[in-house]
Amino acid sequence: MTLERFRAEVRTWLAEHLTGRFEPLVGSGGPGREHEHTDLRREWERELASGGWIGLGWPREVGGRGASLEEQVVFHEEYARAGGPARINHLGEQLAGPTIIAFGTQEQKDRFLPGILAGTDLWCQGYSEPGAGSDLAAVRTRAERRENGWHVTGQKVWTSLAHLADWCFVLARTDPESQRHKGLSYLLVPMHQDGVEVRPIVQLTGTSEFNEVFFDDAVTAADNVVGEPGEGWRVAMGTLAFERGVSTLGQQVGFARELEDVIEAARASGLADDVALQDRVVEAWAGLQVLRHTAVRTLSSDAAASTGVEASVSKLLWATWHRSLGELAMVAQGPSSVVVHGGLSPLQNLFLFTRSDTIYGGSNEVQRNIIAERHWGLPRDRA
Amino acid sequence: MTGVPSDTADQRELRSSVRALLEAHAPLRGQLSEGGSPWERLTAEMGIPALAVREEHGGTGATFADLAVALEEAGRTLLRAPLLPTAVAAVVLQDVAPQLVGPLLDGSSAAALALSSTLDTVPWAPGADLVLVVTGDALLLAEQAQVVPLEPLDPTRPLGRVVVAGDARRLGGPEEAGRARDLLHAALAAECVGAAQRCLELTVAHLKTREQFGRPLGSFQALRHRVADLTVLVEAARSSAWYAARLGPDLPVAAPLALATAADAFTAVAGEMIQLHGGIGFTWEHDAHLYFKRAWTTALLHDPRALRRLAFARAHDQEVPGA
Repeated sequence: MTLERFRAEVRTWLAEHLTGRFEPLVGSGGPGREHEHTDLRREWERELASGGWIGLGWPREVGGRGASLEEQVVFHEEYARAGGPARINHLGEQLAGPTIIAFGTQEQKDRFLPGILAGTDLWCQGYSEPGAGSDLAAVRTRAERRENGWHVTGQKVWTSLAHLADWCFVLARTDPESQRHKGLSYLLVPMHQDGVEVRPIVQLTGTSEFNEVFFDDAVTAADNVVGEPGEGWRVAMGTLAFERGVSTLGQQVGFARELEDVIEAARASGLADDVALQDRVVEAWAGLQVLRHTAVRTLSSDAAASTGVEASVSKLLWATWHRSLGELAMVAQGPSSVVVHGGLSPLQNLFLFTRSDTIYGGSNEVQRNIIAERHWGLPRDRA
Repeated sequence: MTGVPSDTADQRELRSSVRALLEAHAPLRGQLSEGGSPWERLTAEMGIPALAVREEHGGTGATFADLAVALEEAGRTLLRAPLLPTAVAAVVLQDVAPQLVGPLLDGSSAAALALSSTLDTVPWAPGADLVLVVTGDALLLAEQAQVVPLEPLDPTRPLGRVVVAGDARRLGGPEEAGRARDLLHAALAAECVGAAQRCLELTVAHLKTREQFGRPLGSFQALRHRVADLTVLVEAARSSAWYAARLGPDLPVAAPLALATAADAFTAVAGEMIQLHGGIGFTWEHDAHLYFKRAWTTALLHDPRALRRLAFARAHDQEVPGA
């Protein structure tokens, strides 16, 4: 199928399905707005499944569509253009699934992949802990192997969508004598059980989409470890490598829409005539073009010839750009930006929520260390 | 670190052969002291100016993106030869005056490209056999141009005042002029990327070997993070320059944007190169000032802020003040 025919197919399907009872979902969800329409978004995930749009890039033998990189980009672009809601199971489709495909046993693939492809099993990610944020290897959540399976005890934090999830992929220390990267295991833990408690975190936006998750002797079957026990770090890092940017161009469609909103706000406030503000708008626009050029270049590149620096460069670029856009969104409105009218406006939410962009998914500081060490081979800081 | 993942297989080969040639025959210092230049080898032997010229006009029919790879490499060593304006002129002229192209390809002739807004400060004008003048609405061949050599702030790039004496020959209208300007911008962006990348490599090498307080400078996080931020700037510039060099239909937007991004990245990296080298970076004998001067003179001649506003206006179909 040609790329243009594929694009037409995606567009037609979305036009026919993202309508009627799903109409309220247009433009909903996403970072800062994950609490919106959660029930309807669950249904939407199943609707996508019925159209065969989940696991687009997964290999055919595990039930995916084996779509090319270009086709995946097209899907994300069209999805964003249609205002498709944030995917409520993106952690399942983009992280849990690919990890199980890459490192799991045949039994694990048979057990877990169909639920993700059907849009019925939702996933969350149990990595960060109060004492293990940027320093992920400091994980202290323990898991002990007993007769009836793994017993998990510890606290995870910043777990988005945990209150909706059916399963959590947990990085836990299975060798109590171990330190740092060694002795960790990658466990799949069911969320609906007595030993799991989820508490929402109220963010500086006043809303909640992240949670704390407390495991108190939670149990999962002995088979639910991906990779060998003790290999969890390798598996988890493999997972991070799957975030290779096919969704980036779709994300940028949303960014462009936000920038248009900011320009509109500047027109409304009269600041559009201010040369200093114009320069900032032009800078923001130029930055977005550079993001796009970077994504296109990465997708055209030979990954094997790379040090992998692209992922860190891309994260630093987009997160920092988006955070600046949030600031500009307020400046463009003028003084009226400080008034709240019964809940944050989209631009106020953009301003506040983008403070998290440069923290989650590897903070700017962690990305800088990765570039310094892995790309340039600069020695570690061990003062 | 010669591998650039976005290179095609052909470009990888081209990059490494141009690099080998320049390292052997045009090291930065060698060029300065002897005034020597690998001009013959780059033109007649390797055919760099011919890369993006069609075969019917004596070129090799490769792409502008290939030429951009060679210009990146030229930027690395701040090549002291008019390769960039000559190669760009050849690409421009094949469409409007193909009979002039031949001598530019084999090295017997060198060109300078003058923007009408900066005729008083035209890089590579001294020694040019052919001067193209790009105005807002015309592409001109200044057949009787007089060039007054100037002492350049950047000792690696000759500079001259161009006086268009007599009638200039009109080779094209606004479209051709715009195309010439865009190609020049795209080419300069590539040159900036190559030079900025070299600054970064030299700086990292220094941070790895120079020890203070009993440890390599590069182990201090404050410095590592600055290197990372510079890397982001250079990679972003590389992306924009790469995108522009593909000469897509949005070239009038992509080209000024690429030069703005690349020139800004280059000035930032070159400035930090001096700072991160400490005292040695402030000396005449160190190369840092040469990169610094090339970076700033490029930015000062082309004004990244204005280029960005131009790109924005073009993308939004707005009038461009002063263009």
